[in-house]
Amino acid sequence: MKRNTLGLQVPVGTADILPQDQAFMRQLERGFLDLFVKWAYEEVSTPALEYLAVINPQIEKGDSLYKFFDREGNILALRPELTTPIARMVATRLKGSALPLRLCYAAEVFRYGTSARREFRQAGVELVGSSSPAADAEVITLAVDALRGAQVNDFQINLGQIEIIRGLISDMGLKPETGLVIEDCLARKDFVALELALIEAGLTQSQSEVIMSLPSFHGGEEVLDRVEKLAESPRTLAAINNLREVYAALDLFGVRREVGIDLGVLRGFDYYTGVVFEGYAPGLGFPLIEGGRYDGLLGNFGFDCPATGFAVNMERLVSILTPPSYSAAQVLVTGRDMQAMIERARALRAQGLSVEIALEPIDAAAAKQYADSKGIARVETL
Amino acid sequence: MSRNLLTIALPKGKLLEDSVSLLVRAGINCGEIDEDSRKLVFEFPEEEVRCIICRPTDIPTYVEFGAADIGFVGKDTIIEQNKDVAELVDLKFGYCRFVVAAPEEDLPADLSRFELYSLNHKRVATKFPRVAETFFGARGMQVGVIKLHGNIELAPRVGLAEMIVDIVSTGKTLRENRLKEVAQILEATTRMVANRVSYRMKYRRIQELQDRLKELVNGEEK
Repeated sequence: MKRNTLGLQVPVGTADILPQDQAFMRQLERGFLDLFVKWAYEEVSTPALEYLAVINPQIEKGDSLYKFFDREGNILALRPELTTPIARMVATRLKGSALPLRLCYAAEVFRYGTSARREFRQAGVELVGSSSPAADAEVITLAVDALRGAQVNDFQINLGQIEIIRGLISDMGLKPETGLVIEDCLARKDFVALELALIEAGLTQSQSEVIMSLPSFHGGEEVLDRVEKLAESPRTLAAINNLREVYAALDLFGVRREVGIDLGVLRGFDYYTGVVFEGYAPGLGFPLIEGGRYDGLLGNFGFDCPATGFAVNMERLVSILTPPSYSAAQVLVTGRDMQAMIERARALRAQGLSVEIALEPIDAAAAKQYADSKGIARVETL
Repeated sequence: MSRNLLTIALPKGKLLEDSVSLLVRAGINCGEIDEDSRKLVFEFPEEEVRCIICRPTDIPTYVEFGAADIGFVGKDTIIEQNKDVAELVDLKFGYCRFVVAAPEEDLPADLSRFELYSLNHKRVATKFPRVAETFFGARGMQVGVIKLHGNIELAPRVGLAEMIVDIVSTGKTLRENRLKEVAQILEATTRMVANRVSYRMKYRRIQELQDRLKELVNGEEK
């Protein structure tokens, strides 16, 4: 049947990827996966469709999921990220494995949000089964190496620690609900509402100043000395010490120059439990990389186990890079003797070249013109 | 693009003058900004600042995408647009309130005898459908929201809706159209907002400006 209107379109937020862009995307992802594999990460794949019970068990909570019913009446959701599906997979299928487990992926994710892209690709790693600062430093190093490998020349990674913030709040001996209000304001980065909430909760001037000044803890190691003076409990001190150890380990891995300490990285309070980090590039209004430690997530699937990881947003990455131009073939074989041409093409392919056979006889000038138009460097006429 | 260039989105219309004069007092020499010139971009290279003039409702979008690093915008717009931006300072000017209002003749003379719940199943005309839906939804009320783009007060007069949700500053427009406020939803003033990545990457510049603005605004209150 002839298509019209919707039959000629793609759903809002999705896009076709044409050969040049797809070649670039594939090259970048292959680079990432090769890098991850060299660090002993094994590639996995999970279903694009999951039960909603896996992705968001709090059904009342608003989300930005694509949801469907299956024919049995269960609610399905398209995965909005890979960390939760991989946590489910590890907890149910890989429980008996020797730890730590190093897993990586490159896959589509789906978010029914307001942003321009609702389907996009992510590449990332999950390091499951180690709470060592070296594990956090390893995944941050991979993030840095991934961006370097993709020729992102100007970027920075900002490293925070959710547990320091939680610790500072709990040191103030506030009511739990006040703590939640503060976390909510911080997560939304609404510092106007935060200041009002602090006044309403009856915090002292100095307590309010500590919380309001969290984003100003931004820089190098000296930031940790400053925040240490504010810490009162062993919990907060332990979190600060953890960030110190991760930062020191980054030095061993040789990537400390790219990473700044920033307690203003305020994200995913319900999910992250330790260091959190984001990768930024100038001119890009959204983070390129998001990651951190999530020691509570696997426990939700019945396998209590620490873990850390990150994901690169591939569409955002591509948007700041200039793609090289790709040609489908390196050699064009033309001529009248199809048998000879097929054999020649086979020989050239065996040498690792990509070869196109001219399906109709064409003269040398036409062959040259065709090859130029497609960016094929070499023409062989038999 | 210079990594240090700060792009500031300013709202055209009634908030522009206050925004510019506040920035000037904060030490950014941008006094030449003038809506009548119809220029949309003003460059101040020696300050490493660029100001862009936007429709107020578009400012959260410019800032969310990072096309502007910071913006000045009413809290009413922030709430309605619900974009992911960091809200840094209450600039205190441009005060207005979100209210529910209905025609006088439909209301009891003694407003204390009015029950909000009598508005169930009625239609509400508004430029702010999210604000209206959230307000009535939170009270378990069922109303039909009709989105309009301006002159909201006209809707009840011609029977398009039985009530409106709108922002009021002095209440003059309501009085002129024989509408009466029956409930306040919330109060709003102008805010300084920042792109979440700019706020971390251009932290020093933004924090400096944030501190200066806060000082100026709070100083005036005393």
